Amino acid sequence: MYKYNILDDLTSDVMFEAFGADLKELLEASAFALFSVICEIDRITPSQSFELSIEAEDEGSLLHSFLSKLLTQSEIEGLFLSEFDVYSLRNGPPCKIKVRVQGEGIRPELGNTVVKGITYYGFKLEKTRDGYRSQVAVDI
Amino acid sequence: MREKLKQLSEFKWLLSRDSRKGMNADAIIYANKKLIQQAEDEAFRQLTNVACLPGVINPVIAMPDMHWGYGLPMGAVGAFDSEEGVVSAGCTGYDINCGVHMLRTELSSMEIMPVLRTLVEVMFRNIPCGVGAKSSLSLKRKDLEKVLSMGARWAVHHGYGIPDDLTRLEESGCMDGADPGALSKEAFERGMPQLGTLGAGNHFLEIQAVDTVYDAEAASAFGITGTGQVLVMIHCGSRGLGHQVATDYLALHKRAAARHGITLPDAQLVCAPAGSNEAMDYLKAMKAAANYAFANRQIIAQWVRRSFTEVLGRKWEDMGMTTVYDVAHNICKLEEHVVNGKKRKVYVHRKGATRAFPPGHPDLGEVYNVAGQPVLIAGSMGTASYILSGTEKAMKESFGSSCHGAGRAMSRKQSLKKFRGEQIRQALEKSGKAVRSTGYKVLAEEAPAAYKDIDLVIKSVDGAGISRKVARVVPLGVLKG
Repeated sequence: MYKYNILDDLTSDVMFEAFGADLKELLEASAFALFSVICEIDRITPSQSFELSIEAEDEGSLLHSFLSKLLTQSEIEGLFLSEFDVYSLRNGPPCKIKVRVQGEGIRPELGNTVVKGITYYGFKLEKTRDGYRSQVAVDI
Repeated sequence: MREKLKQLSEFKWLLSRDSRKGMNADAIIYANKKLIQQAEDEAFRQLTNVACLPGVINPVIAMPDMHWGYGLPMGAVGAFDSEEGVVSAGCTGYDINCGVHMLRTELSSMEIMPVLRTLVEVMFRNIPCGVGAKSSLSLKRKDLEKVLSMGARWAVHHGYGIPDDLTRLEESGCMDGADPGALSKEAFERGMPQLGTLGAGNHFLEIQAVDTVYDAEAASAFGITGTGQVLVMIHCGSRGLGHQVATDYLALHKRAAARHGITLPDAQLVCAPAGSNEAMDYLKAMKAAANYAFANRQIIAQWVRRSFTEVLGRKWEDMGMTTVYDVAHNICKLEEHVVNGKKRKVYVHRKGATRAFPPGHPDLGEVYNVAGQPVLIAGSMGTASYILSGTEKAMKESFGSSCHGAGRAMSRKQSLKKFRGEQIRQALEKSGKAVRSTGYKVLAEEAPAAYKDIDLVIKSVDGAGISRKVARVVPLGVLKG
């Protein structure tokens, strides 16, 4: 079970925070939080999958790029995503990850809203006493 | 920041450039006292951030529907010198050429009411909406390249509308200088299946009726004949293609800002110096996305016409279903404005703001040369919307701009806590409106009470003189994604 919260912040859009004991868990929790905004994530059956490889200069850019690519690729593949497995992670610079994601073909009745983009506004990836925390504002 | 506001008149407020360090311009906010009190302190701070960017033209403008967003607040205008300033993918935002298209009819609400529910159902079937909706059009890459270059002209050329429609669209439905080659493979892949889809979130399609006419002469010029007349409003944008263009070029402008040594007061306000390759490439791609949005709304408008024909059994031409206008309210444009007494070309970024050009402006063409530009303002779901006209005062004071909607007063999380979608639907239907959506959550998020009072917003822009009230319209039927 991933740990995340939708923050009561930003009037026009949505901001969330996610937590992870390590970078891998943080990336997965952030992706889960993102798709909980997009769809009824608990009702998605993971029946289809695709893989992503991402490289970025630092951990923050890696998270931003990962979430942006998930938005892009899930729309191209026509999937609502619900499972995220960062199965390869190399700390940088450059940081590199390989990810396998699963979901199911989009059914409109399971859709919540369209997320238009992962903004840089208030974007944070920080180390905490317990691991990592992210803060992400998405355009609705 | 709020404590530094100085009231200049009933509907005009100043945040002077000495409000904080680094501001290169003042900020002017058009709003009455109540709306100023409703605006978040963070929205004022975001406004002053834009005033810190290089080459900003005085003043940065906020509209009465201003609210806290990301980067530039929603409901704002930032203009930048075309030589010393910047072009900012961050200021324009993700939904490039989100806008409003309006059709008129010669039908009365009395004629529509008996078939209203059927009409809403038929439109829901004919116009794909909601998350992940795909179009019945099947575009190949070559087709999409033409859409990106031709905009609404492509749609009309393929039978989605008539040539007269094009004379009643901002930019005639096509921005010159679009380059499909400036778009990524991903933008094409997202754009091909989505042309002719409404989207979700705050996008909607409404069957409306004229409730009040304030200016009979302008109304007549816009094709508005009187109260009870049925209109259709389509609110959507450039869909996944535009979102991808923004994502790609925000990343480019982030690198450009660092490379050119531009200090960003907010990480989202990424930009590139005007005239740089990064700025020019963005404009080519942004115009292509804008053209996609013009074509998208034109195609949906034609499907609305066909839906009316299907339900009412009459040709749409015989029902007088012509175009009133189509406006962009998220866009960057190179426009001529008078700055310090001299005509200058400036990059006007409108994010949640509508162009409002006055009578006689050369960009309006013959159709609205006398009456001025129709300024279409989408209210929140289930509440009034407005048709305004552009004014000289807007040209002098607000870079030819006005507001764009009611503006959110409550966050989406608060809305979901406070409202239930099913209850919202029941309340709307109890008041005689027909509502259709892909789900209930969106109805709770977009609950009318989550938005500001549109009547106050319009009173502010009309009172300030940056546009004039022409007609107020109320919804009869609502389609939400």
